[in-house]
Amino acid sequence: MSAQKMHIDSYERNWMIFSFILLVLFASAVAVAAFGMGIQVPAPEERVDPRTVATDPNSPWSNPGLREIAPGKYDAYILARAVPQWEYLPREITVPVGSRVTFYVTSPDVQHGFMIQNTNANFMVLPGQVSKLAVTFKNEGTYNFICTEFCGAGHGVMYGAIIVTP
Amino acid sequence: MAKKDKEDDEFRPTGTITVLVIFVITLIAIWATIYMILVGRGGTL
Amino acid sequence: MTQYQVPVAEKKFIGSHILVAILALAVGSLFGPLQAFEHAGWDFYTYLKPLIKSYYQGLTVHGVLNALVWTTFFIMGFLTFNVVFGLKRPLKNIVLNKVGFWMMVVGVLAAAIPILANQATVLFTFYPPLKANPFFYVGLTLVVVGSWVEGWGLFMTYNDWRKENKNERTPFVAFGSLVTALLWQICTLGVAVEILTMLLPWSLGLIDGVDPQLARTYFWFTGHPLVYFWLLPAYISWYAMLPKQAGNGKMFSDSLARLSFWLFLVLSTPIGIHHQYVDPGVPPTWKFLHSMFTFGVFFPSMMTAFTVIASLEHGARKNGGKGALGWIGKLNWSDPSVASQLLAGILFFFGGIGGLANASYNVNLVLHNTAFIPGHFHLTVATAVTLSFIGISYWLVPYLTGRKLWQPKWATIQAWVWFVGMIIFSNSMHVLGLLGAPRRVPLGLAPYVPAEWSGRLFQVGLGGAILFVSGLIYLVVMYKTATNKERVESEVEVPSAEPMQDPALGPAWLDRWAPWIYGALALIVLMYGPVLFEMIRTMALTSPGFRVW
Repeated sequence: MSAQKMHIDSYERNWMIFSFILLVLFASAVAVAAFGMGIQVPAPEERVDPRTVATDPNSPWSNPGLREIAPGKYDAYILARAVPQWEYLPREITVPVGSRVTFYVTSPDVQHGFMIQNTNANFMVLPGQVSKLAVTFKNEGTYNFICTEFCGAGHGVMYGAIIVTP
Repeated sequence: MAKKDKEDDEFRPTGTITVLVIFVITLIAIWATIYMILVGRGGTL
Repeated sequence: MTQYQVPVAEKKFIGSHILVAILALAVGSLFGPLQAFEHAGWDFYTYLKPLIKSYYQGLTVHGVLNALVWTTFFIMGFLTFNVVFGLKRPLKNIVLNKVGFWMMVVGVLAAAIPILANQATVLFTFYPPLKANPFFYVGLTLVVVGSWVEGWGLFMTYNDWRKENKNERTPFVAFGSLVTALLWQICTLGVAVEILTMLLPWSLGLIDGVDPQLARTYFWFTGHPLVYFWLLPAYISWYAMLPKQAGNGKMFSDSLARLSFWLFLVLSTPIGIHHQYVDPGVPPTWKFLHSMFTFGVFFPSMMTAFTVIASLEHGARKNGGKGALGWIGKLNWSDPSVASQLLAGILFFFGGIGGLANASYNVNLVLHNTAFIPGHFHLTVATAVTLSFIGISYWLVPYLTGRKLWQPKWATIQAWVWFVGMIIFSNSMHVLGLLGAPRRVPLGLAPYVPAEWSGRLFQVGLGGAILFVSGLIYLVVMYKTATNKERVESEVEVPSAEPMQDPALGPAWLDRWAPWIYGALALIVLMYGPVLFEMIRTMALTSPGFRVW
């Protein structure tokens, strides 16, 4: 068999080159947002034992809630659970406007989701893992956080709220 | 096997290019809209 | 030129796949609208209580039957048809293929029983530590292994053909089908390992816990290429059949079509982590690398768009099509098989756009697990794939049964009704997602749904209702066709668009299997090896099961 060359129509060749450039541009825009603007996806934070994470007194999730670590800077430890009922602990968090809140969320039972509406905080919550992302609340108002992964019969009622006060 | 017709050689897919240009414009518009929502909401680190 | 006739035994065998597929679609589609109606505030689940316990059980039935059973059975039937018809020879060992088929049927039944008994309300992603009845996992395993066995039967048939046709190019429809079957063999290893090493022993009580993060990684190893397993059979039809049906067009580029199939084989598995961008236990480096390769797999789809549209345009111009866009009107829209597939293709443009947004690494933060996602995959698997398969069935079922398509006009109406219903449904789902509505939630009851969403939620229900009507028309058309007393005059012609350039003039490396298979495996090792090795090394089987539905 002789080595045949691939025949590509000139229009199609140009389309392929253009597609390639277009995809490179999209990829670059994504990279700029990730590495230039710090809009990042969650990274492995910590492994925990889901069977004890909510009860072990040394675990921050045995006493979930907001901790102020510096003026205007907070850590929020949140437990997402399906047992005994579908809820986030705590259900409500209040912070002043302009606060930078870093969320640490885990589950003692099944998989959950955690999405704070109108923010970039939107991630999976897995038993055994800690999910971490930070948000600056620039505007006052109520931001619901909602469970976005099926976690059983009460999935649809599982939510909480962040109250951003003046 | 496939016979090469003269009209096949003359065929230029200009309509295809038109359809794809419309597609690409829509693609960029929708993608950029969602990208701007992301950027507007700010950093997560 | 008379066409090769698929032997009667093979026709029956392929037909039994299509029958199971359509039955699954019928039951599954019954539950689709119920989810949509719930969103609009019309909750039928209250009345179904004795039979179906919850929205989520209905959603599980819908997802498993439509996304997994309908697709897999139709695909295995269609691939078998393409291999037999394309290579012009019967299956090497039809008994082997039948064994595979019956394993799949038994698997579906084994999984269906616990699902209907509300013992496996875990949705079609079955993420642990939600723990289903062991029969659910056994059933899924049988479906996967059965599809492997059928694939082996196809490869053996090809092997015999190759021995007798050493220097021939593999006919395109057979080539595409074999690549699809091979892709499936490789990618299903993920879910096989997930079930056999974790979920099944755990549901049987042999191990106490699972590692949910590792389970998700195994799942998405299979879960993304699954999308291409669905899509490639539709691409085969779009490339090599539709241009002929739509106006006697020729396949614009046989070489690039083959190249795009190889690229799908190589690129569709080592990108699965793009479904896990917001998982806590996967390092961002791997997420980013997988996102870059996901942009890569978009490339062969762009090539497909060009070649397919150019092939259609070629036919339309010969038939007197004029203008930059006017030629589209010259396509054979009155043929229901053509109308279905063209409409499927149009909506696939938007499916592709949404898919690219989902796949764009951090852009996923805006979209992850919102209603945007089901909005997206109802354009892809539920339209580009499903409506194309419906279109294929409009000639394939008459071909297999020798009975005339009942009322082609109604079949055409069906396609348009689907198109309209899906635009309304899917558009409102996308918008709701961008507004912050989560997926997999009975939004009609959720306490956090603001009043401003009600217009969109109504559209979800309206779209669902229209789709339901379309599904009913399809079932009636299929039933009436299968029982039609009117026989086809001679034989139904299998649509075959001849390539514009003789495939034998294309490069030989487009018909060599080994380099592409090694390439695919090497890329999987590179892209998944380190991350999976680390996850397995630090595996913690600490999650006991929960039955909380």
